[in-house]
Amino acid sequence: MAKIIVVTSGKGGVGKTTSAAAIATGLALRGNKTVVIDFDVGLRNLDLIMGCERRVVYDLVNVIQGEAGLNQALIRDKRVDNLHILPASQTRDKDALTNEGVEKVLDSLSEDFDYILCDSPAGIERGAQLAMYFADEAVVVTNPEVSSVRDSDRILGLLASKTRRAERSQDPIKEHLLITRYNPARVDHGDMLNLEDIREILAINLIGLIPESEAVLRASNQGIPVTHDANSDAGQAYTDTVSRLLGEEVPLRFHEYQKKSLLSRVFGGGRR
Amino acid sequence: MSLNVDRASTAFTFKGGMLPMTVMELTSADPERIREQLAGKLSQSPAFFQHTPVVLSVEKLDEPHLALERICAVCRAHKLLPVAVRGGSDPVKQSAWALGLGWFPPQEIKPRNLESVATPAPEAAADNEPVPASGGRIHRGTVRSGQQLTAPDGDLVVIGAVNAGAEVLAAGNVHVYGALRGRALAGIHGDAQAGIFCRELHAELLSVAGNYKRLEDIDPRLLGSAVQVRLSDDQLAIASLA
Repeated sequence: MAKIIVVTSGKGGVGKTTSAAAIATGLALRGNKTVVIDFDVGLRNLDLIMGCERRVVYDLVNVIQGEAGLNQALIRDKRVDNLHILPASQTRDKDALTNEGVEKVLDSLSEDFDYILCDSPAGIERGAQLAMYFADEAVVVTNPEVSSVRDSDRILGLLASKTRRAERSQDPIKEHLLITRYNPARVDHGDMLNLEDIREILAINLIGLIPESEAVLRASNQGIPVTHDANSDAGQAYTDTVSRLLGEEVPLRFHEYQKKSLLSRVFGGGRR
Repeated sequence: MSLNVDRASTAFTFKGGMLPMTVMELTSADPERIREQLAGKLSQSPAFFQHTPVVLSVEKLDEPHLALERICAVCRAHKLLPVAVRGGSDPVKQSAWALGLGWFPPQEIKPRNLESVATPAPEAAADNEPVPASGGRIHRGTVRSGQQLTAPDGDLVVIGAVNAGAEVLAAGNVHVYGALRGRALAGIHGDAQAGIFCRELHAELLSVAGNYKRLEDIDPRLLGSAVQVRLSDDQLAIASLA
């Protein structure tokens, strides 16, 4: 049985797809058979971030509507053997997704994979609710700003009430906080919320902290998940995050502002 | 890796559940008198009247025939949703069913007299259903943005934080053992003695018996501290608990 993990946030543009791609890549690099599903029907992005946009033939909606088999729609990643991508449809909308259809796809994938990552669309409507409905664990992506924190809080409320585990009164979904675009210098200046404030408001376990990094933008545009960029701070932070997801204890990095370390990062290969 | 369709999916499952329910105990069968009283209550605590389901209890009425349809219409006009009737004669039962409402038999325990001021001895709760004597409610954990928690018959105790965008309401007091960042409304049925207590004040809105203060109206020196909120001369008084 696969573990189903939803990557969600409520707010758009906080780094859900980047994080889903990076975590899926990290899990596969550690030897886990992993599939990442794009639930953002109508606004397909995951294929670009994963660099497989030229190989999309069939998509999630085709599979749900019986127009293609799951094997036809799954795209094998070029860089990591254990990693597959199930893209979203760009020409349909979220109404094309049905609860039963999604359940069937997840059940079939469960037989072959260790991890299923669901990349949720923004918002709290149908697409987002379907992406989280069958999840065992949730990674809630939050930026250090008040609106993002409030939207994450709202999503946490939905995770505790509008999911299969909640409706069947099973063990609740395991919730993890992933803070992205963290800039310790701006936190020090008071421009951004600090780590402790976010943790206090959301009151869930911190799984990772991704520093604001040029490597992320570069990775997105090149279609290579940032986890592959082992020299970058963001790549290392995602690798740490994956280790914590797998149950390992890893000390937190990149959360403190030190002038020295910034200099050494500039000269020490932060850029390539 | 084909799609397996073998899992027969059921359309629903029946589940037993205990839900908090407001009982509207009628002491008059006159729809006009009910309308007047509802209008007064509505202006006091509008937050309570949001399509709140109510059970109409007619046990105290000694009338075999009721203008049930008109009473229901009055309730709906004030955003109360009658879902069932409790007690009453056989014709009352029949007309409840005809209106699509449920019917409950009269309560077995003799209902308390509304006029009596003395606190009655706590009644023994049923063996397997622990019901707090006061009709209050305890919530453990964070109340999150978009969530609403109501204690329609007593105090509400939150062991955790109430986050921005969340709303906690109680007929009695509201206690928050954590940070209060959302909205807190005490005395929603008009109890002017009710209060709000919290460990850390950042509330968007505080209200006791319909008198409210917004975050902007609160003395900034009190923000972040432990406070109690009470009604004094129709004004909300916020005092530090330290």
